Amino acid sequence: MQLDVFQALADPTRRRIVETLLAGEQQVGDVVEKAGIHQSGVSRHLRILHESGFVDMRPDGQRRLYALRPEPFHELEQWLARYRRLWDARLDRFGAALEKKQGRSIKNSRRSDRT
Amino acid sequence: MSPVSTPHAPTKTVIERTYRAALADVWNLWTTREGFESWWGPQGFRVDVAELDARAGGTLRYEMIAATPEMVRAMTEAGQPVTHGVRSTFADVRPMTHLVLRNVIDFVPGVPPYEADITVSLSQEGERVRMVVTLAPLHSPEFSAMQKEGFESQLTKLDERFA
Repeated sequence: MQLDVFQALADPTRRRIVETLLAGEQQVGDVVEKAGIHQSGVSRHLRILHESGFVDMRPDGQRRLYALRPEPFHELEQWLARYRRLWDARLDRFGAALEKKQGRSIKNSRRSDRT
Repeated sequence: MSPVSTPHAPTKTVIERTYRAALADVWNLWTTREGFESWWGPQGFRVDVAELDARAGGTLRYEMIAATPEMVRAMTEAGQPVTHGVRSTFADVRPMTHLVLRNVIDFVPGVPPYEADITVSLSQEGERVRMVVTLAPLHSPEFSAMQKEGFESQLTKLDERFA
């Protein structure tokens, strides 16, 4: 199953694994211990993270070491920038709506001044 | 009902704005039907509020409606409905100061339901009102909708259409 960056991180367990790997290259046992997730779950999620490009695996003798790859995070960053622009635009409309309302309440208060 | 988990947000987006306005007017744009309808929603959409109860635990329900002929056509061509219902909760409300709008994301296949918060803090600074909006983008309705519908490619299509 090949997931895009969003689907890969949609799962809270996988987010916890990614956060654990922020500390650097680790073996499955370390991730199990630090993330507090059952071994079988960690192996499955590491496979999914590997397939979706978040995690690299290299053998070191008997051990398999897992580490984060930067590429999907760049992709995520670009998306976040777009998400931010979307909210900036939304708050521009907030500002415009506010101005319109202010205009009305100034008129209203002028009107009430006269009465 | 399945339990709702609140995963730790890997990243938060904080947006600050300052307005020369009355605090009550800024507050009302978030907490009244008329105010909310006057600005909420992505470009090309409008919202129709069915219920807005801005008390702690109160409900916000609205329809998000494609509002321009271009958007209606774009949504139709992308196989999306032109209107869709959204339900949120005012999780925390401290009048004129602070509110948390909580969206329950329970429609992503294979992902347990979770909560996505939009936090708004207001403070009076002289004649101005400072508004800080804190978002958890990875847990936002927009993000979840993209996951659900593979929206990324459709957004690209929209970008091209409106370029």
